[in-house]
Amino acid sequence: MSDSSEWDGRTYYASPQLKPAPFSYGLVGSYVFLAGLSGAAQLLATMLDLDCGRAAEATVRRGRFLSLLAPSLGTLCLILDLHTPQRFYNMLRVVKTTSPMSLGSWALVGFSGASTVTAVMQFVSDHGWGLSWVRHLARVMQIPAALTGGFLATYTASLFSATSTPRWASGGEGLAVKFAAASVASAAAAMQIGERSNRRARDLNSIAIAALAVELAATLHTDQAQRQAGIRVSPSTADRLGVTLPLSLFLVSQLLPGRARRLSTVASVAALAGSLAMRIGVMRQGVESAARPAISMRFAQPDNLPDRHGVAARGSDRRVSNV
Amino acid sequence: MDIGARALDRSDLDAVIPDEAELTAGVRIRPGRSYGFFTDTTLCIGCKACEVACKEWNNLPAETPQLTGHSYDNTGSLSASTWRHVRFIEQSVRADSQTPYQSGWLMMSDVCKHCHNAPCVEACPTGALFRTEFDTVVVQQDICNGCGYCVPACPFGVVDISTLDGKAHKCTLCYDRLKGGLEPACAKSCPTNSIQFGEVEELQRRAQERLEHLHRVDVTSAYLYGTPDAPGATGGLEHLNAFFLLTAPPETYNLPRAPTRPANRVAPTLAAGLTAVAALAAAALAIFARRD
Repeated sequence: MSDSSEWDGRTYYASPQLKPAPFSYGLVGSYVFLAGLSGAAQLLATMLDLDCGRAAEATVRRGRFLSLLAPSLGTLCLILDLHTPQRFYNMLRVVKTTSPMSLGSWALVGFSGASTVTAVMQFVSDHGWGLSWVRHLARVMQIPAALTGGFLATYTASLFSATSTPRWASGGEGLAVKFAAASVASAAAAMQIGERSNRRARDLNSIAIAALAVELAATLHTDQAQRQAGIRVSPSTADRLGVTLPLSLFLVSQLLPGRARRLSTVASVAALAGSLAMRIGVMRQGVESAARPAISMRFAQPDNLPDRHGVAARGSDRRVSNV
Repeated sequence: MDIGARALDRSDLDAVIPDEAELTAGVRIRPGRSYGFFTDTTLCIGCKACEVACKEWNNLPAETPQLTGHSYDNTGSLSASTWRHVRFIEQSVRADSQTPYQSGWLMMSDVCKHCHNAPCVEACPTGALFRTEFDTVVVQQDICNGCGYCVPACPFGVVDISTLDGKAHKCTLCYDRLKGGLEPACAKSCPTNSIQFGEVEELQRRAQERLEHLHRVDVTSAYLYGTPDAPGATGGLEHLNAFFLLTAPPETYNLPRAPTRPANRVAPTLAAGLTAVAALAAAALAIFARRD
C-alpha cells in the first residue's frame, strides 16, 4: 500500500489524461472579446446616459452601436465554432444553471434583443423620424441591455473555469475578475476612439486606467492561485505587455494635456489588441495544460480539493491520499 | 445462475432470449435502477475483446492503424470511435520482489465512468447529454450540435467530438442492449470476468468482497477507485457507476486521483466576476458624474 500512497510524478507514457477543449482559439477568443466589449460598452453607455442624458449623446450613441458587435459578429463566431453549426438553435432547448454556456446563450439572446432595440431606437431618433417615445424606449431598454451586458462581460471566465482544464479550473475567481476588468477596459478604449469632448475622453481614460489596474491585479492573483495549485506559470512578456503598455500610455496621456488625444487613441488601440490577445492566450494556455498529464495529474491531487467543510474535508483528503 | 447462456443458445430460436442478462450477468435489467461496470484490473489479461466487442456492437469505425511504440496499447486513448480502451503498463520488476514467471504487466480496460454527478451532463447546453432510466449517461445524437463543451468538462478525458459527424460520442453503456434486456457487449465478451456488469450497489458489494479477499492473500496494494469516498469519486462527483479495482497509484493508469465537479465552480466565479463588473460600473457612474 505504501507505493501507491503518493504520486511519484509518473504518468501513463506521458499521454494526455484529459481531452483539450475542441474550441478554435480565433473564433472563441474573438467571441469572448466581442461579448466583453459589447456588454461593457452597453453598460458604460447606460451609466453615462443615467449621469448626463442628452449632453453626452454622441458618446452614448457610440456605446450603443458598439454593443451590436456581440449580437452580430460575436454570435457568428460562436455558431461557426460549433461542429454541427446547422443545429445552433439547440442551444435554446434547455436552461441549465450548472452550465455557464447555457446561461451565456440565454444572456446573449436577451442582450441581443435589448441592445438591438436600444440601438435601433437611437438610430431612429438620430434621424428625427420618431416621436419622443422613441428616445424613452431606448432609455428603458438600455437597462436590461446593461444588466445582460454586465453578465456577458464576465461569464466567459466561468465558462472556462467550469471545466476540468487545469489552467482554467484553478484560480477561476481571479480569471472572472480579470475578464470583467478587461471587458470594461476594452469598452472604454473603444468608446474613447473618436471622442470629441475633452472631458468625456478624460473620463473614459480614467475608467480604462481603473479597469486595466484591476485587470493587472487580477492577473497577478490568478497566477499566484495557479502556482499554489502546483501549476508552474511563467508569464510571457506579451501577456504582461497587453495590460502594462495601454495602462502606461493612458496614464501618460492623462498627465500630458497637449498631445493627449492622439496618445490616448494609440493607448485605446493597444488596449483592444491586448484584450483580444489576452483571451486567445488564456484559451491557448488552458488547452496546453489539458494536453500535459504532468500538469493535469498535479492539479488532480487531494490538496487541491475544495475545502468546503473545513477540517472535516481535510480528513477525507487524507483518506483519498492513502489509497 | 445455475444454467449458462449456452443452455439456451440454440440456432432454432426465432427471437432474442428475454432478459438474457439474467443468464450472462445474473441481473435482470429494469428501468429506474442504477447499472454500471465493476472493472477488476487484477483479472484483466489484456485480450482487448472488450474493445472489439464494443466496436462491433456499436458500429464504430476503426482508428487509423498506428503503433504507439510504448506497449501493447496501440489504441492510445478513448475517443469518439473507441469507447473501451485497454491500457498496458509495463512495470520494472525486480527479481527479489516478483514471483518467477510472473508477468510484470498491469492491464486495465478503461471506459466512461458514468459519474453520479456527471460533469458532461451538467455542462451540456443543449440537453443532448442526459441520464437514462438505467442511471447511465448518453449523448442523444439527434440533438448534439457539437459545441464541444462536454470535452473539457470531463475530468477523465472520455468524451470526444468526432471529426466525421461533428457530434460528441462516448460509451452509452450499451443503452440499446439494456433496453433489450442484454448485458453490455464489453462485459459479455470479457473472458476473465474482469469487466462485470450489474446493479451498482451489488457491484460495490462484490468489489468490497474481492478487495477483502485480495488483502487476505497479501495483495495489499489493491484498492477501489470510484466507489463513494474513494479516489476518483472526490470533489462532489459522489461515486462513479463504472468503477475499478486497481493495484498501483491511479496516475499509473492515467486516472486522476482527486477529480472535482466543475459545476461547483460556476457560482463562485460568477459571483466574483459580477462583483467586479458592478464595482467598475459604479466607478464609471461616479467618474461620469464628476463636475469640472
